[in-house]
Amino acid sequence: MTKETAYAVEVDRLTKRYGDLPAVDDISFTVRKGEVFAFLGPNGAGKTTTVEIIETIRPPTSGKVNLLGMDVTKKKHDIVHRIGVLPQGFSSFDRITVRETLLYYARLFSVKTDIDGLIELVNLRDKTKEQYRNLSGGLKQRLGIAIALVNNPEVVFLDEPTTGLDPRARHEVWEVLLGLKKKGKTVFLTTHYMEEAELLADTVAIISKGKVIAMGTPGELIERNANYLSLTLKPIDEKVFEIVRKMGFGPVLDNHKNIKVRVEHTYDVQKILNAIKDAGALYLGLDVRKPNLEEVFLKLTGEALREDPDEMETE
Amino acid sequence: MNLRIINANLVVKLMGFYREKTTMFFTFAFPIILILVFGTIFMSQDSMEYRLCVQDLDQTNSSAQAVEILELNGKFKITRVDPAVNAAQYVRVNRVNLVLVIPKGYERSLIQRMMLNDQNASVTITYIYDPSSSSVITKMQILNSVLAVINQGMSGKPPFIRSVEESILTRKYRFIEFFVPGIIAMSVMTLSLFGTVDSDTELRQKGIIRKLSTTPITRTDWILSNILYHFILAVISTIAMLLVSYAVFDVSLHIDAWLLAFILLDVFAFVGTGMILTRFVKEAQSAAAAANAISFPMMFLSGSFFPIELMPGFLQKFARTLPLFYVNEGLRASMVFRDNMAALRSAAIIGVFAAVVFILGIVATKWEEGK
Repeated sequence: MTKETAYAVEVDRLTKRYGDLPAVDDISFTVRKGEVFAFLGPNGAGKTTTVEIIETIRPPTSGKVNLLGMDVTKKKHDIVHRIGVLPQGFSSFDRITVRETLLYYARLFSVKTDIDGLIELVNLRDKTKEQYRNLSGGLKQRLGIAIALVNNPEVVFLDEPTTGLDPRARHEVWEVLLGLKKKGKTVFLTTHYMEEAELLADTVAIISKGKVIAMGTPGELIERNANYLSLTLKPIDEKVFEIVRKMGFGPVLDNHKNIKVRVEHTYDVQKILNAIKDAGALYLGLDVRKPNLEEVFLKLTGEALREDPDEMETE
Repeated sequence: MNLRIINANLVVKLMGFYREKTTMFFTFAFPIILILVFGTIFMSQDSMEYRLCVQDLDQTNSSAQAVEILELNGKFKITRVDPAVNAAQYVRVNRVNLVLVIPKGYERSLIQRMMLNDQNASVTITYIYDPSSSSVITKMQILNSVLAVINQGMSGKPPFIRSVEESILTRKYRFIEFFVPGIIAMSVMTLSLFGTVDSDTELRQKGIIRKLSTTPITRTDWILSNILYHFILAVISTIAMLLVSYAVFDVSLHIDAWLLAFILLDVFAFVGTGMILTRFVKEAQSAAAAANAISFPMMFLSGSFFPIELMPGFLQKFARTLPLFYVNEGLRASMVFRDNMAALRSAAIIGVFAAVVFILGIVATKWEEGK
């Protein structure tokens, strides 16, 4: 039975094991209707397994998952009509055109869809007669997003929609996703791109080794987990490094010989600058900024998030 | 089961097939090429004329008459070999498989036998032959029977044992009429088996099945549209084969509902087999190899190309365990012999096989991801 709820997704103590190996380990979270929820984690963290359980593709080992108030293990038939899915590594029929593919999926859902509107939304106007095999990586992903929207779903799942795309193609996909956000769709996004999560998500959950280790808005996560400032100095005198070190701040040199210092307050920055000035040393410039999600992630998990650049596909 | 969904899936599959010209060519043209090649070979064999080299060492009117008798038999096209050359050398150098040598003294012996009634007078004709040639034995057998007839004629007495041919069929059928049903059975098998295995493994590997499992299409809809798709291709392919067979070889084959029934059973049996294979073979390349491993023995041992009676006893027994054997038998029973009871027996056997394999195939088809 469907129950009215403010949540699009409710995950309660979800566990998924492959043999003895827990891919998802006793996680709980909720996704509010109308929000963009980003599931952030490195490869193998359990993102796709979790999302595939919610999408009804995979059964859980234990725990409870409700989607729009329906139990995903019991109401698959009802659920598939109300969700749209872009699976990881999306692919389609090679010799079927963009328009024919959208018509095919619309027929599967037995719905009358504004195919032209969808094509417009994902900016594939010039490619409607192009067969899938002739599309570039970015265009294929945009078609995948259009397919996910063909039944006008209440919740859209996008599993790593920009993985493997070059920066331009990635920005084009983000434009489409921002359009969905404006339309008020509930979007469940899995990604390992920080800027993607920061740009698009209302709520971010960080998953590592099958566990949700932090959750909140991007601002909250930064505030909660990285309450410091990053000072970068471009020194002229080599003694600047020594001056900062003697003050007890633990400076580090990056590849460009810039000095990076982590400080807790803005007056620490002033203190360092005054000490350099008093010593008669010189610097070319400085940069003070708050940490980003990537630094939060590194701090929480100790794992890097960037994908292998070799996997990038050019448009 | 949703007919709209089955129809949508069917249309996409047919469009994809139509646009893949290479697959389309091999699906439809390959069996036609087989019919044309084998048909031509065996049609010419029905009226085959052997080349026969004859070396007449006697060089008399009687020996020339003997050569003429051989020529008039109609089975041989005679090449005369110079009496001065070495016959064995001639066989090697000219790559012929046999030289018939009429010995010197042929006419003298003939006169002794016929005119002087000397019953001990005889001649020995020598076959100088290359034993590595596969057709030379047949050629020698025909020569022996021709010589037997000549000897019988010379005895002046009518033969005691005569023979007459009586076919169990109301009319005389040619090899091509037995061959075409076998090729129909084989091509429907290959298109169903390879079509299912190739397409299912590719779609699974590319994640399209996973995407489809998040839509309203069910496993039943998917399988039924696959069956329908392969049945349509099989019917088109069969029509093309029959048209070519009628146009080129003027075949005499009976076409009725049994033909459609056997095509449908053939499709069910081998789509089912393909679905089972797909469960165990994960990658497209290994899938093609696995399908080959099943289809090749089936093609050559089930009597599609040649009668199983030509095979050793144990292989004949094995052939009778192959499902394609019963499709061949059933199609020949209905199209050639017009024997409804024999067709029904074959249909029952292949029907049971198709049902079992198809049910196993449905169970084996993985629609959602594993537990």
